[in-house]
Amino acid sequence: MKPGVWQKLDVVARGLVPAFSVFILLLINLLPVSLPLLSTASPALPLMAIFYWSVNRPDLLTGLTAFMLGLMQDLLTGLPLGVSSLVLLLVQAGSASQGRFFHNKPFIVMWWGFAFVAIPALLIQWFLSSALIGAFLPIRATLISYVLTATLFPLVAWALARAQNSLLRHV
Amino acid sequence: MAQHGGPQQRIFSPLRTALHRFAFILLIVSAFGLMLLGKADTILIERIRAASADLVSPIMNVVSRPAASINELTEQATNIFNLYEQNERLRRENRELLAWQQVARNLVHENARLRDLADYTSPPPLRLVTTRVIADMGGAYAHSLMVSSGSRDGVSKGQAVMSDEGLVGRIAEAGYQASRVLLITDINSRVPVIVENSRDRAFLSGDNTDRPLLTFLTADATVAPGDRILTSGHGGAFPPGIPVGVVSSVSENSVRVAPLFRRHQLEYLRVADYGLQGILTDQAIHRSQPQIDGVIPNGVGIVPRDSFAPTQQSGPAAPSSAASPTPSPEQLP
Repeated sequence: MKPGVWQKLDVVARGLVPAFSVFILLLINLLPVSLPLLSTASPALPLMAIFYWSVNRPDLLTGLTAFMLGLMQDLLTGLPLGVSSLVLLLVQAGSASQGRFFHNKPFIVMWWGFAFVAIPALLIQWFLSSALIGAFLPIRATLISYVLTATLFPLVAWALARAQNSLLRHV
Repeated sequence: MAQHGGPQQRIFSPLRTALHRFAFILLIVSAFGLMLLGKADTILIERIRAASADLVSPIMNVVSRPAASINELTEQATNIFNLYEQNERLRRENRELLAWQQVARNLVHENARLRDLADYTSPPPLRLVTTRVIADMGGAYAHSLMVSSGSRDGVSKGQAVMSDEGLVGRIAEAGYQASRVLLITDINSRVPVIVENSRDRAFLSGDNTDRPLLTFLTADATVAPGDRILTSGHGGAFPPGIPVGVVSSVSENSVRVAPLFRRHQLEYLRVADYGLQGILTDQAIHRSQPQIDGVIPNGVGIVPRDSFAPTQQSGPAAPSSAASPTPSPEQLP
């Protein structure tokens, strides 16, 4: 049976879920939160989602998508352009190629994998931002950001896994 | 994806991986290209940033409301615990403030009379736009906020942004309905300031920590912890006399200032349209650059007079900024 127009549209819309989820997390990152800690350093939520989807559905989150989402992040947060694009692109490429390693392994393996990947990702971001701004940014904020990112990963991964199971089972 | 077998796959599969690899390299190169572009063409990037802020501002405007009300709830809960203590403190403060009010009233009258006597021309009046914080680009790399007003409301690049307590930052990019505010703690922020008591001039330079540095202080300047820092109004960017912060620490090679606002509690801000030229327009900067070859002019960063001409304000405002001692180019970072 040939799928109708609506069915095709449905498949396309479901295919956009990963990219859309990263965008939503990007906006959540921008929300003004009245916690003193979060105003100096925030968890890199988009990074978590990029890692999650690259490992689980690399076909739905391509390098180009990661690049564009990074560009969006740079534009909105006022970072030097291109830095997040590069970081998210590298994370996407690196995790997608190692994705098979995480399949059928307990979640803790994926958590450790992310905690490992996030180190170079945040370091590259810190280094390139510092280089482009022309002064060393305080590394302490990056460290806090890393700890938050690594500890909050299970929460985001759980939400993304729910989305994957309910929306992407047949896509 | 459909799997093809046979000779077709043998030809196309390597081709596809080659294409993928090429696309990957292309994207990496374009990321570096973007970094260069961001350094080179700041006007274009600014427009794109403003447009992207406009794009997400309707969403952020709605989503930030529930976030704000949750914040309010937690704040109320903590307030209830400190009710007694707070009440005592407020009573004490109120008593002090009443005394100050009396002093201020006397001074207002005295000031008005003296101004009449001296034919003093007042600085241009302030026009304030009140706006709401809809996003906080909190992070290790940038200290900025997004507010819900733009060129539609008369907000434009370079204007001072204040909270109830004091200076918060300036407008970095103004879109149509949203703008980005660069906080004074950001590493790109420089604000001309004076020390309230000693009237020493300096720059407040952010370094992405929550205690910005006081730079370009003269050697004989006297600064002590607790001194208040105000905007000086030099360069015409900010109105003079806005409180900026309090000196928090003085050491051999750095003086740090504690800003008066608490970033995580910023909710409503005021944007001050000072009615002056504001900071230099980008065209004016480009036009003034070729003049600096070999000879260093007095007062760098001053736009040639004729480029101001169509919009120049009448009166003493513009010449006074030209006469102010701006740091010479060797000093500028």
